[in-house]
Amino acid sequence: MIHVNGLTKDFGQLQVLRGIDEHIKKGERVVVIGPSGSGKSTFLRCLNLLERPTSGQILFNLELPGGGFQELDITARGVQIDKVRQKMGMVFQHFNLFPHKTVLENITLAPVHLKLMSKAAATDKAMGLLERVGLVDKANAYPAQLSGGQKQRIAIVRSLAMDPEVMLFDEPTSALDPEMVGEVLDVMKQLAIDGMTMVVVTHEMGFAREVGDRVLFMDEGLVVEQGTPEQIFGNPQNQRTQDFLGKLL
Amino acid sequence: MFESIQQWFLGGYQQFFNTMIEGNRYLMLLEGLGVTVKVALGAAVIGILMGCVIALMALSKLRIARSFASLYVTVIRGTPVVVQLLIMYYIIMLSYTGPKEVVAIVTFGLNSAAYVSEMVRGGILAIDKGQTEAGRSLGLSGASTMLLIVLPQTVKVILPSLFNEFIMLLKETSVVGFIGLMDLAKAGDYIRSRTYSAFVPLLSVAAVYLVIVIGLTQIFGRVERRLRQGDSR
Repeated sequence: MIHVNGLTKDFGQLQVLRGIDEHIKKGERVVVIGPSGSGKSTFLRCLNLLERPTSGQILFNLELPGGGFQELDITARGVQIDKVRQKMGMVFQHFNLFPHKTVLENITLAPVHLKLMSKAAATDKAMGLLERVGLVDKANAYPAQLSGGQKQRIAIVRSLAMDPEVMLFDEPTSALDPEMVGEVLDVMKQLAIDGMTMVVVTHEMGFAREVGDRVLFMDEGLVVEQGTPEQIFGNPQNQRTQDFLGKLL
Repeated sequence: MFESIQQWFLGGYQQFFNTMIEGNRYLMLLEGLGVTVKVALGAAVIGILMGCVIALMALSKLRIARSFASLYVTVIRGTPVVVQLLIMYYIIMLSYTGPKEVVAIVTFGLNSAAYVSEMVRGGILAIDKGQTEAGRSLGLSGASTMLLIVLPQTVKVILPSLFNEFIMLLKETSVVGFIGLMDLAKAGDYIRSRTYSAFVPLLSVAAVYLVIVIGLTQIFGRVERRLRQGDSR
């Protein structure tokens, strides 16, 4: 679904990504781990072009309106990136809910404004999704009235309302109080069970082990090692992977 | 002693009668007030709309837009509004023959836009970048994200300074007499020159401005408090 070829990203003198080649398949759950500053968030943000890569290609299979697929290099000039982003949900560390909108408005704003759904249909869909995450009673609340865990569950629902083909999670539980991490991870696990393609940057090793089909260990702008959770957590080959996991466990 | 106080009050009333009541001259003040309010409101509308446009230009990726915004703010802030008014009346809108209020509204609107644009620019920068990223990642265009997500939040941040700007604007319009408009201030001055008596007309004018500004401050304070309540919802 997403092919990444030779992806690099510089911030001035600093080389954050130094050449990444990856293929994320449909329905796959890829978990990206690594020390802070390793470039894992930048990698994720490049996938939907919140950061523009310095060089490299990102090929995305965009579903065409009439059926079929078109493989699109989203880094190319003239690509309608807004169209691509509609199919890539993104969940942020700090939720980024819109504080001046109610929960329901947060969820329906994009689908309605982009004329993908009527207001009534979008509201129906939103209520259905809220039901799934157990927050129907918060539909008319404002984000400031919610706990961190509730905000993040709403943020996930807001992305899902766009019917994305892939969901990108950028440290979704890092800003949460410990007792709220579980409720957000539960929603993500449910999403995985439903077959959503997911790329998750996280420090939650338990989640990586349980949900990940594949774990990427990144350090200094490169994918140093990758494999199944069993391989990475049970028998890491690379010295740096061993050091990193040794510090955590 | 008592008599002299009585005399003083009687004299005051006599003056008030002579200057304001006789010939219904107080009506001139009312008419002038109408002009003042019209010019201030009209200018505020232009100022806010243009101010947003200039602010967006200042934050634009386009170098020309940024340069224009910077030049605009520099020129407007760097020259007195009276001079701008005279230039507008005698040079730029020379061939215009309609109501002079329009000249004043345009001038003060364009003037106010420069100050408003700086407020809006600061307000936009104060909104968390994550808000823009969230909007864009949902597939909204840059313009839609700005309009639906960033600007509504900006309004709340800059409202106190916008209110302040409106109060300044209301008082600043007192120079429209320079192009022969009879606003509140000019009306007072006119009565002074007709009656050879400065005391009552000028203090009346000052009192009217003061009462309006106090009233506006009260209203604005209430609006702000209500908006702040929204934060802790």
